[in-house]
Amino acid sequence: MRSLNKTRRLSVFLASALFASFLAGCNANQPIDAGAQGVPSVPSKISAEKLIGRWGVAAYHRDSDRPRTEGEARRQCSNPYVIKAGANGGVIMHLADQADPQELFLKGSSSGSTYLGPAGMAAVAADREIVAISDNSFTIKWVSPDNSSRYGTMVYIRCS
Amino acid sequence: MRIVKLSFMCLLATATWFCHGASAVADPAANADAPVDMQIDDQPGYQPSAEEEQLAGPFERQIVFFRTTEAPGTIVVHTADRYLYLVQPNSRAIRYGIGVGRDGFQWAGIKKIIQKQEWPDWRPPPEMIQRQPYLPRFMAGGPGNPMGARALYIGGTVYRIHGTNQPQTIGHAVSSGCFRLVNADVTDLYDRVPVGTKIVVKQAADL
Repeated sequence: MRSLNKTRRLSVFLASALFASFLAGCNANQPIDAGAQGVPSVPSKISAEKLIGRWGVAAYHRDSDRPRTEGEARRQCSNPYVIKAGANGGVIMHLADQADPQELFLKGSSSGSTYLGPAGMAAVAADREIVAISDNSFTIKWVSPDNSSRYGTMVYIRCS
Repeated sequence: MRIVKLSFMCLLATATWFCHGASAVADPAANADAPVDMQIDDQPGYQPSAEEEQLAGPFERQIVFFRTTEAPGTIVVHTADRYLYLVQPNSRAIRYGIGVGRDGFQWAGIKKIIQKQEWPDWRPPPEMIQRQPYLPRFMAGGPGNPMGARALYIGGTVYRIHGTNQPQTIGHAVSSGCFRLVNADVTDLYDRVPVGTKIVVKQAADL
């Protein structure tokens, strides 16, 4: 009888452990919490030089607005956003809601995502994620849900 | 059209950003008697709560007694009172609380609605870009957009009747000549008003 109880307890323990690992597995696929500490950064696969230049900037919230937003970004080259090289290998840009620009850095992560923000951990609230990049454009999403809801997905089109 | 006050800056501005220069808001406590302007910035991306968007008191949408010679379906704006009326039969009107042009940006005239737009786009004015260089120069329409949920374009002018993501500005002199309503109200008006609707903008009610 005692042996049977032990077997039952072991079964319950194993089932609980299995369920916990299942939940952990689900959680691993959740978006990074911007309020969290971020993740360790690794060298970025994108070089800072790719961001330097003059850019037309526009934003959208709904994916259906992306094509015309790209067109609008292209038309904003009369009032471009200028990204310069920083002294330490980064780029001079603004953080959200900061009037003065500062040197920001491209930060890779183990997931393969690339972030742009202050030196240190990647995917912190101040960062933006570079979700697409080519020679003539790049697209960012803000890590912070608050910034993301306010500024949307931002498209940068290189001005000639 | 009789322009009561229109600054040189207004004349230079383009329709795309005209209604969203640096805004000014009156002190709510003082508004009932003599509106006083004070400075407030646009808040691109800000999404007000349902409680914030629910107006109370005189600025809440309501049916009122309204004596006018204008035909039912006409929009009448009383800038000084911060009300927009949609004329109804039998000396009634639907009255909406609005935000109006700040001092120097108010106007009067008889015009028509020439275009309607759901979730209009927004372009921050140059002075805002200067203050906040990181802002996108164009923001596609959507929640949080300072132009709000709907826009009705007033023909022959650079002005619009539009929504807002700043419900606290209703009842105040805030804009560069446009008329702003909370999103629920501008949506209600949008659904009631066809293109071609006559709009009469007055400084104050006729006595």
